[in-house]
Amino acid sequence: MSLYPSFARPNSLAQASELLAGLSGGSVIIAGGQEIMPYINHGAMQPDIYIDIGGLKELRGISEADGVVSIGALTVHRELQGNAIVAEKLPMLADAASRAGGGRQVHNRATLGGNLVAMHPLYDIAPALLALGAEVELVKAGETRRTSLAALMHETSHGLGSEAILVRVLVPAMAAGTGWAYEKLKLSGGAYGSANAAATVQLDAGRITAATLMIGAVADRIIDAAAAVQGLIGQAWTAAAAEQLELRCPALVKQPLSDQQGSGEWRQAMAGVVARRAMAAAVARAGQK
Amino acid sequence: MADHSTTDDTRYVGQAVRTIEGRAPIVGAARYTNDFVFPGQLYAHIVRSPHAAARIRRIDSSGALKVSGVVRVLDGAEAAAHLKPITHYIDPAVFGGKSAEVRVMAVDDVWCYGQPVAVVVAEDKRTARFAAQRIQIVYDVLEPVLDAEAATAPDAHIVVPGWDSNIMMQAPFRNGDPDAAFAKAAHVVKTSVDIHRFSTQPIETRCYNAVWEHDIEGVTLYATAQNPHPLRHVLSEVLGMPESKIRVHAPVIGGAFGMKMHGHPEEALMCLLAKLTGRPVKWTETREECLLIGAREQRHHMELALDADGVILGLRDRYFANVGAPSACPGWGMAFLTGLTMPGPYAVRDIDVQMTVVITNKPSWNAARGYGKESTALALELAIEDAARQLGMDAAEIRLKNFIRAEQFPYNSPTGLIYDSGDYSGAVLKAMHAIGYEGWKARQAEGPKDGKYIGIGVAFELTPEGGALPGTMVAGYDSSSVRVAPDGSVRILTGVTTPGTGNPTGIAQIVADELGVTMDAIEVTQGDTTTCPYGFGNYSGRSTIVGGGSAALAAQQVRAKVVTVAAALFDVPEADVELHRGVFSVKGQQGRTLTFKEVCYAAYTGAYSVAHGITLPLEATATFKPSNIRHTPDENGRINPYPSYSNAAYVTVCEVDVETGKTKVLAFAAAHDCGRVINPVLVEGQACGAISFGVGGAMFEAIAFDSSGRQLTRSFMDYVMPRSEDLPAVKMVHHDSPNPVTYMGLKGAGEAGVGGSAAAVVNAINNALIPLGVSLNTLPLSAPNVWGAIQAARKRGQREAAE
Ligand SMILES: Cc1cc2nc3c(=O)[nH]c(=O)nc-3n(C[C@H](O)[C@H](O)[C@H](O)COP(=O)(O)OP(=O)(O)OC[C@H]3O[C@@H](n4cnc5c(N)ncnc54)[C@H](O)[C@@H]3O)c2cc1C
Repeated sequence: MSLYPSFARPNSLAQASELLAGLSGGSVIIAGGQEIMPYINHGAMQPDIYIDIGGLKELRGISEADGVVSIGALTVHRELQGNAIVAEKLPMLADAASRAGGGRQVHNRATLGGNLVAMHPLYDIAPALLALGAEVELVKAGETRRTSLAALMHETSHGLGSEAILVRVLVPAMAAGTGWAYEKLKLSGGAYGSANAAATVQLDAGRITAATLMIGAVADRIIDAAAAVQGLIGQAWTAAAAEQLELRCPALVKQPLSDQQGSGEWRQAMAGVVARRAMAAAVARAGQK
Repeated sequence: MADHSTTDDTRYVGQAVRTIEGRAPIVGAARYTNDFVFPGQLYAHIVRSPHAAARIRRIDSSGALKVSGVVRVLDGAEAAAHLKPITHYIDPAVFGGKSAEVRVMAVDDVWCYGQPVAVVVAEDKRTARFAAQRIQIVYDVLEPVLDAEAATAPDAHIVVPGWDSNIMMQAPFRNGDPDAAFAKAAHVVKTSVDIHRFSTQPIETRCYNAVWEHDIEGVTLYATAQNPHPLRHVLSEVLGMPESKIRVHAPVIGGAFGMKMHGHPEEALMCLLAKLTGRPVKWTETREECLLIGAREQRHHMELALDADGVILGLRDRYFANVGAPSACPGWGMAFLTGLTMPGPYAVRDIDVQMTVVITNKPSWNAARGYGKESTALALELAIEDAARQLGMDAAEIRLKNFIRAEQFPYNSPTGLIYDSGDYSGAVLKAMHAIGYEGWKARQAEGPKDGKYIGIGVAFELTPEGGALPGTMVAGYDSSSVRVAPDGSVRILTGVTTPGTGNPTGIAQIVADELGVTMDAIEVTQGDTTTCPYGFGNYSGRSTIVGGGSAALAAQQVRAKVVTVAAALFDVPEADVELHRGVFSVKGQQGRTLTFKEVCYAAYTGAYSVAHGITLPLEATATFKPSNIRHTPDENGRINPYPSYSNAAYVTVCEVDVETGKTKVLAFAAAHDCGRVINPVLVEGQACGAISFGVGGAMFEAIAFDSSGRQLTRSFMDYVMPRSEDLPAVKMVHHDSPNPVTYMGLKGAGEAGVGGSAAAVVNAINNALIPLGVSLNTLPLSAPNVWGAIQAARKRGQREAAE
């Protein structure tokens, strides 16, 4: 810890990785600073050295190849909202990014990487990416590794933020006709989410052939509601199916968060409401372009 | 927004003039208190108690003193050796209550979470904060009391050692024969209203920078202070130093809302540290610290006695205010005003209101916009809504039936207030018309759509403003100087200050008209005890009433001087001289003109000729003292501390999503009476601000604690104020009844609206939920709370159906 941290701005991923490997603790990666600066200003975090990754070209840009959209970790929320590839191939991600709070100023600086590494249960981008089956590319001590975002979120020693760099996020393009919806329930305009749901669905002749559903902001981890969605496969989306889904989801919330975003009892119930609403909207959208 | 067209464009008053002081903050050029840095500047960090109730066993500062860059460490006991207890802004003892000895930092006993315990002064902020972590404090943690009613239990922990109970003050507000009124009532409606702790959060937090003036052995305090002169007086008492050695300078303020009224420990503490170190010492409040300042938490047990037609015969209220730990700030007085303002706009004579102000281990209150009058409005308006529902009456109709009528003014209220003027029924009807009441009723009658229930809420708020409490520095009068320079430019210096409301512009409009100059000739200086005339600063919607009123009187005196000089220059009788927007002319003689500048220069240089008959310089200081404030008690011991009674009607339409409990405000209208509008933009800005305060408080702003009394709400992530998407455009209509005793009929316009708008929202939500059998008078009506009430009502329904 240092009262006056030093500052380094490497120019390449290799340089950054080398630098991080050579430093023993106390270093912290900074991207847009939207997450970390409030902590530092508040005294909750006292790093020795900031590694500003803003200069790493490898972490920028959005491209598509072989049905996979590759998004640089430094992509800011505004780019996610306005990028043509994202809009066409991953409209749910664009929507989730636009639903994040903080307004324009934050959206212009807040990066995809920073949002994911924060692993904050109330955040919006991870549920959408999880529902889309995203993978991530990390670099640690010069080694590159690829893993699913879902697995990463359960790792305890990924070292992101201090030793490891999140380089890119790789998301399978949404198949044509996929229905999707991101549902966010918050107490007021400026509040973080109290219950969020990201859903995708494929329909064939009115029956659900595949679906994903992630529920965020109700527990300390994002909940994969695959178990609740299972019963929908092969079914039409009927009032009864909707009711079933709404009943099943709260049961997946073992330990609801209970904080100023709402009581645990309410959050648990809302897990069902947002799940049903998201799925209903996804179904309504399915098959449309 | 209202129509801003005005008929009289020869005057600035009444027009939507752009604020003269508005540019600097918008372009980032304003200098706030925190922007001042002086040579040798030091920074203070305050160590605060993590416990709500504790005894301090030991404080070991040695670790902090070892940190390089630390200049001084002080604990409560050492500070107490240098400083007297903080003088109360409003001493409860003056009103028959108990007065605690409030020290700048805890000595032996901790009263609340966040109470200052020690302070570190260092060469920079980070060093001070780092060193503060090295101070070791051993506490004996005690069981706190957090609930007001629980704190009155005989076995409750006593917050202030030596007190016999936690009750700081109890007072009745009684009139007539309430028992008889209840005995003959056809209906008695009981309503409990729980108002939670919510606050006012200025974007600029507090900041004090004390500069030791070696040449005079005195101190200058740069401060986010609403009331520089009275603060100087407090500092002189606490520091034991004459007022003449103290200067308080309050630069541009980024919002105050009452929170920057003084009595805060950090004010005198920074002065002491400057004295001890001989260097400037600054402390800037963090948001977390700012959120410690509470307000408003009250529980009312209301009873209304009504006849068969819905006429209110009597009112009873037992209310408890949880004011937190003792403080020298004027916050507790809010509780007193709640009772004094009963029964608001209603013509009820037989009342029995009992106030109980309770000290608990929550952090202290300070004044907050509304100053207790918002709680009166909430309690009354929610009770009346309940009454309307139980009697099957329309919410508007029951109010119209019970209002004081326009021809009854001036009206002596049952608590001794003298309401100056108003037309309450007219305001309600205007607001209903503005929102399209009948249309919404028709839409509501169509029933819920997609689980969304619509409700309409009506509420009224009476807001006494411009207050003066006897024996305190809450004064009813104020003074201003108008100074005209030889070049004809004008400086107004006022005893009132602005928290960012735009009153300098309003005052300049008044002076421009009275003096006869253009707006661009005027500068306004406020907030400096050494340059400004003695004054009491801003609170209680007073600054335009008394600041504008006194500046008008001073301007009239200066105008008389320049007119005399102009008459001599023109060589015509004074009565023939005209002055408008900086140009003198002679009645009936076209083409003969002189500029204001020419006349002013002639005055300054013509003391033995054209200015022979006047007293130079071209300056005057005047005081405005509203004549209807009465501090001599009447036969019942009552006083009238207020000169003006602003009032407004609020009507809102809310939509409740019954699946989630979430509410959306669909429409909002207000009809506002501030006596006379000097500048509609300023008035509407204030009124809309108050409305968003009320809506935020009613629906989601809340300061929460855990069961051990630790505050959970620590940042804007948890304390969320409304954003534009949370409010529809407010339809604002003016319904002004000029105040007969103030300059131009002014009433306060800065404070009104928090309670009325909050009550309108609560009433609308409850109105929407009538079909579900929900009535929720525990604030805030946040989505989880509304949902919880709906669930409870459903379960109740199921149980009843099963039985
Ligand atoms: C007012 C406000 C409101 C917000 N509301 C929402 C909301 O409603 N929903 C929502 O989802 N989010 C919200 N956010 C969060 C916002 O999206 C994140 O703070 C932001 O995305 C973080 O990105 P950053 O680049 O600023 O991160 P930084 O602050 O720079 O870093 C954050 C963390 O990630 C690490 N890090 C950053 N980039 C990398 C990388 N490439 N590799 C390894 N580690 C890295 C840092 O070390 C640090 O620990 C809000 C933020 C603010 C300020």
